[in-house]
Amino acid sequence: MSDKFSSYAHPEALVSTDWLAARLDDPSIRIVESNEDVLLYDTGHIPGAVHIDWRRDLNDQTVRDYIGPEGFAALASRHGITPDTTVVFYGDKSNWWAAYALWVFQLFGHKKACIVDGGRTKWVAEKRPLTREVPTFATSAYPLPPERLDAEIRAFFGQTLAHHKAGLPLVDVRSPGEFSGEITHMPEYPQEGVLRGGHIPGAKSQPWAKAANPDGTFKTAEELRALYEGDLGLKKDDDIIAYCRIGERSSHTWFVLKYLLGFDKVRNYDGSWTEWGNMVRSPVERS
Amino acid sequence: MYPAPLQALIDLFAGLPETDRRETLINLAESAPLHAPQEGEIFDLEDVRKDEECTDTVGIHLHSHADGTVSFRVSLGPQVQTLTRAMTSILCQGFEGVKPQEILEVPADFVPKIVGAELVRLRSQTVYYVLTRMKSAVKVLLNRQRAAALEGT
Repeated sequence: MSDKFSSYAHPEALVSTDWLAARLDDPSIRIVESNEDVLLYDTGHIPGAVHIDWRRDLNDQTVRDYIGPEGFAALASRHGITPDTTVVFYGDKSNWWAAYALWVFQLFGHKKACIVDGGRTKWVAEKRPLTREVPTFATSAYPLPPERLDAEIRAFFGQTLAHHKAGLPLVDVRSPGEFSGEITHMPEYPQEGVLRGGHIPGAKSQPWAKAANPDGTFKTAEELRALYEGDLGLKKDDDIIAYCRIGERSSHTWFVLKYLLGFDKVRNYDGSWTEWGNMVRSPVERS
Repeated sequence: MYPAPLQALIDLFAGLPETDRRETLINLAESAPLHAPQEGEIFDLEDVRKDEECTDTVGIHLHSHADGTVSFRVSLGPQVQTLTRAMTSILCQGFEGVKPQEILEVPADFVPKIVGAELVRLRSQTVYYVLTRMKSAVKVLLNRQRAAALEGT
């Protein structure tokens, strides 16, 4: 294991492209690509990788929520995943959506999961093999998870409001313009109907992208500590809620805080600004 | 209803099975560099924007021809999404030699006919991005032309 990985709190949550390249035929792992670019997988993917789309596969198609235990068991079974399978996530945008997919898997208690450091960008930059062949795996019998573990790693509006009132740490991982209220969505991204701009009063700004290097890899533990413990003053026993716009960027920060830095109590508020900024009388601060 | 070059593309996609539709979209995405500005080309209007947070640079470059028609070139940064690349090829071809007012009046309902309802549902407004940018450029062009005409009277 490299010095970089061994300095993380949970080095097993991250694998290198070298590690993955040596295990493409390993039946104990399932490689999952998860992207923002919905056609990227179709243009070529890591051999043996299956595609999980956050919108199609992980979101409930009617209610704004995630799939339930039945949906998750069906998804895992469809890809031949069992509770013993190590799911190796990678994707575009510095593993933004890979972290989101991993977070959803953990909502159902699937702990054997990791992320490829550098994701798709690094794999492609290293000129490693890609294929357009879509693999098929024998359907597995994934046991129905007894519940979705929302209470452990997910925060809802009411909990986030209580968090704010109690003065507990809130990390806003959106861009500086979104945090200040100057804009209500990422530049050039779809406007998702937010009526008010700004941030949750008391939240501290630390854009998610600061945790990633230009090549998509995560920064070192020392660099990450400087961002979150140094800049934000977070302490190991803090109860932390991270949020962004719909919970996707904050999944990346959630992964960094929980697995790379070892904060035990971190939740992702997936309702995020598209809920908070629309809620009547929810407190908003602009700066 | 649609400009003839665009109608031809709509017809091409009509009835394609989903796998062929995706394959065709990927092929169109791969041909997007053919619609990039050529070295030395001079345009009547250029709108190049860089998004520092996530998406890459998308530049709309517009030629206004003497017969009143326009044509587009589009420059795309390396991180621009596949669907956006595909839509770039589709719209550069579909609006080639079309008059600005016609472009402004094109309803956006052709997009699901080309990319399919499933992709529109999954990525909603993303698929309309290049169309919106092109229409914005055309509006600016028309405003400039109107202002120039007023100055000349």
